[in-house]
Amino acid sequence: MTDADKFLYGDRSAINNPLAQADWSSKKLVWVPSEKLGFEAGSVKEEHGDECVVELTDSGKKVKVNKDDIQKMNPPKFNKVEDMAELTCLNEASVLHNLKDRYYSGLIYTYSGLFCVVVNPYKYLPIYTEDIVNMYKGKKRHEMPPHIYAITDTAYRSMMQDREDQSILCTGESGAGKTENTKKVIQYLAHVASSFKSKKDQVMFPLHQGELEKQLLQANPILEAFGNAKTVKNDNSSRFGKFIRINFDVNGYIVGANIETYLLEKSRAIRQAKDERSFHVFYYMLSGAGDKLRSELCLEDYSKYRFLSNGNVTIPGQQDKDMFTETMDAFEIMSIPEEERIGLLKVVSAVLQLGNMTFKKERHSDQASMPDDTAAQKVCHLLGINVTDFTRAILSPRIKVGRDYVQKAQTQEQAEFAVEALAKASYERMFRWLVLRINKALDKTKRQGASFIGILDIAGFEIFELNSFEQLCINYTNEKLQQLFNHTMFILEQEEYQREGIEWSFIDFGLDLQPCIDLIEKPAGPPGILALLDEECWFPKATDKTFVEKVVQEQGTHPKFQKPKKLKDDADFCIIHYAGKVDYKADEWLMKNMDPLNECVATLLNQSTDKFTADLWRDMDRIVGLDKVAGMSDSMHGAFKTRKGMFRTVGQLYKEQLSNLMATLRNTNPNFVRCIIPNHEKKAGKLEPHLVLDQLRCNGVLEGIRICRQGFPNRIVFQEFRQRYEILTPNAIPKGFMDGKQACVLMIKALELDPNLYRIGQSKVFFRAGVLAHLEEERDMKITDVIISFQSWCRGYVARKAFAKRQQQLTAMKVIQRNCAAYLKLRNWQWWRLFTKVKPLLQVTRQEEEMLAKEEELVKVKERQQQAEEQLKEYEAKQQQLSAEKLALQEQLQAETELCAEAEEMRVRLATRKQELEDILHDLESRLEEEEERVTQLRPKIFVPVHPIVVEILLHFRPKC
Amino acid sequence: MAPKKDPKAPAKKAEPAPAPAPAPEPAPAPAAPAVDLSAVKVEFSADQIEDYREAFGLFDRVGDNKVAYNQIADIMRALGQNPTNKEVNKLLGNPSADDMANKRVEFEAFLPMLQTIINSPNKAGFEDYVEGLRVFDKEGNGTVMGAELRIVLSTLGEKMTEAEIDALMAGQEDENGCVNYEAFVKHIMSV
Repeated sequence: MTDADKFLYGDRSAINNPLAQADWSSKKLVWVPSEKLGFEAGSVKEEHGDECVVELTDSGKKVKVNKDDIQKMNPPKFNKVEDMAELTCLNEASVLHNLKDRYYSGLIYTYSGLFCVVVNPYKYLPIYTEDIVNMYKGKKRHEMPPHIYAITDTAYRSMMQDREDQSILCTGESGAGKTENTKKVIQYLAHVASSFKSKKDQVMFPLHQGELEKQLLQANPILEAFGNAKTVKNDNSSRFGKFIRINFDVNGYIVGANIETYLLEKSRAIRQAKDERSFHVFYYMLSGAGDKLRSELCLEDYSKYRFLSNGNVTIPGQQDKDMFTETMDAFEIMSIPEEERIGLLKVVSAVLQLGNMTFKKERHSDQASMPDDTAAQKVCHLLGINVTDFTRAILSPRIKVGRDYVQKAQTQEQAEFAVEALAKASYERMFRWLVLRINKALDKTKRQGASFIGILDIAGFEIFELNSFEQLCINYTNEKLQQLFNHTMFILEQEEYQREGIEWSFIDFGLDLQPCIDLIEKPAGPPGILALLDEECWFPKATDKTFVEKVVQEQGTHPKFQKPKKLKDDADFCIIHYAGKVDYKADEWLMKNMDPLNECVATLLNQSTDKFTADLWRDMDRIVGLDKVAGMSDSMHGAFKTRKGMFRTVGQLYKEQLSNLMATLRNTNPNFVRCIIPNHEKKAGKLEPHLVLDQLRCNGVLEGIRICRQGFPNRIVFQEFRQRYEILTPNAIPKGFMDGKQACVLMIKALELDPNLYRIGQSKVFFRAGVLAHLEEERDMKITDVIISFQSWCRGYVARKAFAKRQQQLTAMKVIQRNCAAYLKLRNWQWWRLFTKVKPLLQVTRQEEEMLAKEEELVKVKERQQQAEEQLKEYEAKQQQLSAEKLALQEQLQAETELCAEAEEMRVRLATRKQELEDILHDLESRLEEEEERVTQLRPKIFVPVHPIVVEILLHFRPKC
Repeated sequence: MAPKKDPKAPAKKAEPAPAPAPAPEPAPAPAAPAVDLSAVKVEFSADQIEDYREAFGLFDRVGDNKVAYNQIADIMRALGQNPTNKEVNKLLGNPSADDMANKRVEFEAFLPMLQTIINSPNKAGFEDYVEGLRVFDKEGNGTVMGAELRIVLSTLGEKMTEAEIDALMAGQEDENGCVNYEAFVKHIMSV
């Protein structure tokens, strides 16, 4: 088992441990609520009516518990189960126990039906390497242990297969690991979707394929630098929500990405709680900027900035200085040029400087004054505006009264508020610009995206003591996301039931959440909370208090709305959210919803000589003037109505943004990841049971399970069902082959189950929750019975063997005894003594006999010897004869050879002779020729002369005879 | 030389004896017996009783013609029965561990116990055991790991001791440490 395997598969060998199994069935183990541990294991000892006496397994203490508080324990078969939907006893205790068990074994991912639940390990696990990525590539979810990669791969494959857009929704508390998991998703996709790249593509698109993926991965460090901060719960807490949309072309290559952000906590830029930091970038910049940059940005020491409430807070294991370099490198990779980077940093520095502007109350009036304008000068230098105009805009801005503009002096509070609002707005605008810029960088390719995977990383339900407008927004979001989940689950269940051909009556629990959503977002009839808030904002003289009154008046009877119990509560009203009752305090809601800003300063910035600043403040239409807000100004009656509809409130904008998001998500196939923070100490290997239980309730895991239970949550394929439970129905299935479904039908018939408890589908048997546990229990009992009976046979076998051995020993003993007894008896009997004396002598008489026998034997042996010798002689003679023959033949051969040689000699001689004779013949012939010649010489005298040459020729052709 | 007397194979089934031996008053177990042994009608033949007595005698290690409580089960087994420990304990009136080791029973008291066990034989058979062991057959190939079988027998039900299991498993595992459970059960039930 490799290191990584340990954190993926874990050690589940215990599931087949018969000991545990025996324990479970014999002890009736259950879970009882416990103050400290959430739940404790115990075994039911006695039952009296509604009360039970339970003995706690660990402490051995006996406690009395109400029967309703007891939760059944799952059989050990389900220990550390990878998908909790398989649990047959689906209850809080079992879910918590399973998560805890797995977490302690280093297994942080667990499925719960549609959810993937992940518990923050607070340490590095070796399960995110390239090898692991390759391991998960192309695998089905059930083939591999739970992992965010499995979820991502499933999304990617179904996008490719079904051409359906996908989304992966990570939610959870701060510090639960949403952002980390989001990063893993992107890492996986960047790896998987670019490894398809072919040479051809690179030629067609000069932009190197790897670059886009690199930029995609680098978007995160940039966003984190500007949008993350250290909080008490989390050293790298995302202070905004985001939806990253990665676009793919038809071939599955990444062609671009787009990031949308939600609800940046901009107030962090001006104020931080104890032990918390502002956004990382402030610290990176102050620690990392070189001397030249420092003077360009007018940077000062940490302690000089009022907006860094806690001075220089450092993060263990992180060097802000190095991070500055890293962030700048990321900008480089993102190809964001130097001047834009400086522009960003100037705004960051200006935001800090704004905090250092101090105002005094003038001695004789309420008016504010600014005795020291060093900070203001720096701000103006950084933002490229005129310092006199700026100071005037802050101290006595021009406002519109009726049709005229008048100068209106500001009080100290008003001026301070204006500066803070300006700082927040600057930071927010800068952040938004950054996101836009990143999107521009990530959308370089011209290729058409065919489909996308969206990854949502957003905070889960927030329930504090008292909750404000920000919590309302985030809870409203989660309410909608949960509705999406419930609806998805409903659809999927419906599909499964239909596929298996099962009659079903499943309720769409998505509808459950609608009333609460209506309570918040309904525009009219009666208007929801957001609408009422907007309405109140239009209203002169309206305050947070009048807003609350209006809400109570309009929505007081809404089932999801509660008035606080006047006496003890500070809350203004409560909303029964899906995750629980949430108390809201309406302080400053009007202000937060309007998000007002000094219009004069905004105009100044809009006309800034600094290109970057002017660009940030390009759009002015959604700015709500400071003077428009009740309480900030006392001279604004009636002025406001004319502007109604020209700008939009924060609530409105967010509602719109959210409904866009929801529309996008609804058109995708969602995958849900639930992140869980195990403890608030950032400690590895520690799991706070109540903290986790609260989160499970909030994030819908437990609710999902509750909904699951309405249907037939336990499904088991025919084959497995038969293998595991056939023992319960010994003679139900006839011998020989039988179709899985038919066998299961017979088995279930034999089990005599209530028809409402099960359904038989096409490939699986479906059970209501708990039925399998019951079968499991029966199976255990049955097995134990058989084993006990078998053991009695085994013991019988062993005993009989031992007995047979003992009997043999007994017999042997008896033989010895008998002999001994006989000896004792005979020992003194004279005849016996004589016999024993004589007995050795008896041997002598036999010696002769033995000799005789030996001699006889000897004779026989001799005879055989004789025969052998004779045979030998015979063979020798034969051999001699044969060799003589052989010799004769050889001689003959010799003679023949000689004869042959002689003949040869003769032949040679004859040949020589022939030669000689031929020579003589030649001589004679030549003489003859000469003679004939002579004759011819003589002839001419008689005949016509013949040319000598002709004669020669004639002679030549004369046959040689 | 052959032993003087071949011990008869222990009777496997109780035959109704034509001449029932006089049932002696069984010595009542000190703890209130869960089974009323006095009501048990002993139906053994004289021959059987003789055999039983001899077997019984073999277990008497003291020489008082009695055996210890904790030997009762083994004698019954030697005589061909297969009682569970629970059944035997019930007959003995669920004695304590001390009593099991120290209290003794005489032959006449033993007979009705044996009779009770014979009257309520183990109902499970070959098939049941094979099916029961099949549960542990992970590969579905007719064998179970010997080690697994040892764990099952030593941790489930009436847990067996290591010595018992060693005696039981001797020579049953093949070279891979697997046990063909069908053959195993057959073997166990044949002795």
